[in-house]
Amino acid sequence: MSGMKPSQSIPDFEEINSPEFLEMLLAKGPTGQRAFARMVQGTHDRFLGFIRRQLPSQEECLEVLQEVYLAVHKGLPGFAGKSKLTTWIYSLAHHKICDRIADRDRGHKELTESREGSRSTENAGTDRWSGITSWDAPPDRLMARNAVEGLIGKAVEALPGPAREVYRLRDLEGLSGEEAAEILGITPENVRVQLHRARRQIVDWVQEKMAGVRNAKEPQAGGRGSET
Amino acid sequence: MSGLFYKVTYPCDKVRDFMYDYLDGNLPTVTAIRFHLHLNGCAQCREYLFLYKKAANAKEFRKEHPAPDALLASTLGFLEKEGVTGPEDDAPEEPFPKGNP
Repeated sequence: MSGMKPSQSIPDFEEINSPEFLEMLLAKGPTGQRAFARMVQGTHDRFLGFIRRQLPSQEECLEVLQEVYLAVHKGLPGFAGKSKLTTWIYSLAHHKICDRIADRDRGHKELTESREGSRSTENAGTDRWSGITSWDAPPDRLMARNAVEGLIGKAVEALPGPAREVYRLRDLEGLSGEEAAEILGITPENVRVQLHRARRQIVDWVQEKMAGVRNAKEPQAGGRGSET
Repeated sequence: MSGLFYKVTYPCDKVRDFMYDYLDGNLPTVTAIRFHLHLNGCAQCREYLFLYKKAANAKEFRKEHPAPDALLASTLGFLEKEGVTGPEDDAPEEPFPKGNP
């Protein structure tokens, strides 16, 4: 067990986004430090969840989370308060994640056998999300609870980049269109368009898979089977 | 389904494109009526709407596993080492300002 102990009450997002809390965070000395620690306690789970839905390893997630909080600390004096504090932190986290993914992709290109790895990940997905309970389960699969929901989780992975980012922020993290637009540097209208597109692609993908399962369960019903 | 049905309502693809505004409650009344008329007669679009809602409400069914305490301790320890947060030991309780100044 660590020496950490909970201090005061853990603030929720609403409290963290209040001007009073920002004032505490900006205070010098122990007051600011304590406020920062409370802010970490109040946001830790949520941002870790956001990061781990996109990065595979627990170790990497923790590193990114720590980098994010360091960046928050460094950037706080310049934080103008134009957006919510938590939106700004999401934005920092988003950029850190993008950097990590870009670094990894660069690394993958150098490794000629990388495709074998991704193939085995694909195959692992056919077990219908069963038994996914561990903290470090693969990113989007953490959302699975039943077959349809599991398929939706898998469909998210299949979305093209921009639509996936919008979908994650809006429908998985529950941010508003304006917040997502700010984080991604696009217009709210663009968020709306991308989100609708993402949802439709997810539904199309899920329906396709469901049709495949149905067809597999009802072979030769129409006499079109080629077996025997 | 008769041709009249499709004249009074919308084609499937259009109905599916309205689903975003429908969930947001932003469909104009007449459009909403035609939208519902279509849904009443079209099982495929009902299924599509069911899945669309599921996709839009992913936050509700997403599995969230609280991070182990050790991870929070590790983060706080790291930040303390970086001088971002102070030691948590016996810091005096400080009333947090709330409400009126």
